[in-house]
Amino acid sequence: MIRRPLLAFVVIFAAAGALAAQDPGMAGMSMGPDSSDMMPIPMPRGMIMLPGLVGLAPPVAPFLPGAGVDPSTVPLARPSVIVPLKNGDTLDLTAGLLRRTIRDRTFVMYGFNGQVPGPLIKVAQNATITVRFHNRLDLPSTVHWHGVRLDNRSDGVPGVTQDPVPPGGDFTYTVHFPDAGIYWYHPHVREDIEQAMGLYGNVMVASPDTAYYSPADRDVALMLSDLLIHADTLIPFGKEAPDFVLMGRVGNVALVNGEPDYQLTVHRGEVVRFFLTDVASARTWNLSIPGVPLKVLASDVGRFEREEMVPSVILAPAERYVVAAEFDRPGRYPIINAVQAIDHYRGEFDAQVDTLGWVTVDSTPAFPDYTAAFKVLRANPAVSAEIAKYRQYFDRPPDKRITLTVATSALPLPTVQFMSVDTAYFHPIEWTDGMPEMNWLSTAKEVRWILRDDSTGAENEAIDWHVPQGSVVKLRIFNDPHSFHPMQHPIHLHGQRMLVVSRNGVPTRDLVWKDTVLIPVGSTVDVLIDASNPGAWMLHCHIAEHLGSGMMMTLHVDPSGGS
Amino acid sequence: MKGLAVLGCLALAATSAGSKPKPGPYDMALAPGPAAPSARGTARLVFADSPFGVAATADGRLRFDIRVTADALPDPATLGAYHTYVAWEVSSDLSDWRRLGTISNGVSTVGVAERNKFLFIITAEADSAPAVHAGPVVLHGTSPSGWLQQFLSHPLFRGAPG
Repeated sequence: MIRRPLLAFVVIFAAAGALAAQDPGMAGMSMGPDSSDMMPIPMPRGMIMLPGLVGLAPPVAPFLPGAGVDPSTVPLARPSVIVPLKNGDTLDLTAGLLRRTIRDRTFVMYGFNGQVPGPLIKVAQNATITVRFHNRLDLPSTVHWHGVRLDNRSDGVPGVTQDPVPPGGDFTYTVHFPDAGIYWYHPHVREDIEQAMGLYGNVMVASPDTAYYSPADRDVALMLSDLLIHADTLIPFGKEAPDFVLMGRVGNVALVNGEPDYQLTVHRGEVVRFFLTDVASARTWNLSIPGVPLKVLASDVGRFEREEMVPSVILAPAERYVVAAEFDRPGRYPIINAVQAIDHYRGEFDAQVDTLGWVTVDSTPAFPDYTAAFKVLRANPAVSAEIAKYRQYFDRPPDKRITLTVATSALPLPTVQFMSVDTAYFHPIEWTDGMPEMNWLSTAKEVRWILRDDSTGAENEAIDWHVPQGSVVKLRIFNDPHSFHPMQHPIHLHGQRMLVVSRNGVPTRDLVWKDTVLIPVGSTVDVLIDASNPGAWMLHCHIAEHLGSGMMMTLHVDPSGGS
Repeated sequence: MKGLAVLGCLALAATSAGSKPKPGPYDMALAPGPAAPSARGTARLVFADSPFGVAATADGRLRFDIRVTADALPDPATLGAYHTYVAWEVSSDLSDWRRLGTISNGVSTVGVAERNKFLFIITAEADSAPAVHAGPVVLHGTSPSGWLQQFLSHPLFRGAPG
């Protein structure tokens, strides 16, 4: 089944050269027969294909995991297993091929220890564990411990903290967990392929304070992702460079813990604490459970100053939120992602609702009964007291400024023409990809996403920032709304924590420590970085294809006494 | 109906005349209505308070407060039996008017606007919480999303079914 799109690609590529040369706007593009059935990119519901792009294909070879491997020899994926680890314990973590059946179609994909998601690691705050990583993929890889303020040598970034681990290779990580909360691990090599194909897992770090969160009957970790599937095939990835680079790859099948039809059964009156992680390449979610009240407790690196009731949970790639839900009546409740897609053809918004799974509430009463506690919105004075030490820095001028923008070359002429007028308006948050063919044709060969240092003009990895350990750095991030393709960016900083102190000049009312911050189009966001952890740390967009096209830089936190 | 058509044209004019501020995802140029030809104004969408940094309804519509900067609004009493100015979030077909708050000269913040596309209209009113709009329009604009245009005839779509 993975051979069919490969054949289509071969046909397209074989027909490419001479036709592509006829139109200067098609430089770098491959052009195939004028047949829409050659275009394997599925369109969103109710939206039309683009006749102006039919027959084109991105200038990269197709790649899917396990090429040449007999799928029947690949083990079936298993659900995630909880792995409690104590301080000093060691875990073997193997990335390898596995088979997954999704909506009756079987694909060769990736997973950690044969599981999707990977093992759910449970540790106590301040524990240190050893992870022996074994790369049994057909690509180089690493493991990044997202959000964890760990020793720099174990951050898992190729070219910064380690060499990539080749297929068949091994690497040992020492991971210390100084902060309670929900974290995750994933590769930091070709995330657009490896993460999308199933390499992700959570780490739940427990506080010694048993009342750290408001009480709940159970904890449930949900990892949200998506897949782009057409007919019975996965849409291949670009082998030499990521494709779908303008927007990132937005799937058409939503997955919760790797499954398209997540199911949970609880008792009447249960309060469930959901630990949500967005592990999708590009999708920002707007999650809710109609009829069920939701209370947000915590985010990336700890609790909010105050709990809040929310109608839905907005979750950008790599962000985490801890949310309590009260199921007070028996019945079946859908978990939905409800968004307003943009229909460029008709110039309108289009309400879209995806049901990600169901929660069945049986009639057995929950015990203990935490429904009264659920209705109380707790304040967390310990969080506020710690943040108070940083308030002296909130209003000072920024120490550093970056602008988020993009440079392009050799995109198809219709794409350039369209974008020049389409950018008259861009939605602050694009929830879906309304132009998937146009997006597909953009690869890291034509599109370079940029972090630009406002003071020097340096871009991406040419930015050379050094700050002393123990400093507090105010960083202003501006997302240029007048670039070729403005869109939101979830900006992630490794190995440190940060506070979002204001957005567009409006101070944040309820603070929480973050490692990933969503920057909507046209927004200016001020963050305060607690630069406490020495080392070379990446700052990058967590849309996998944006990262893969260069949208990354390194912040050097020099050890105390360093330059 | 004539009044509706005039309002529609005025809103369109406000959009097309919007060279300042530069059209972006948050800024609105406000144009004066015939009752207050000297009035000037701009408006900026500011995400409503949310623990997620951006605010949205459960069905995914973004939620904004609107920060209005107005100048040269006359004393409402000079326009008739009016005492204040009220800001409205109005559906594009003018069928639904939702009161957002009162404004005056200087900076005022009203909200919360939740429509994907809307007209932003300020009228003179007899009181600060009228159930329906009754007074003359003094400023009006279009949400930045009004710039989202159809591309039926763009080369990308040529040949597509209408």
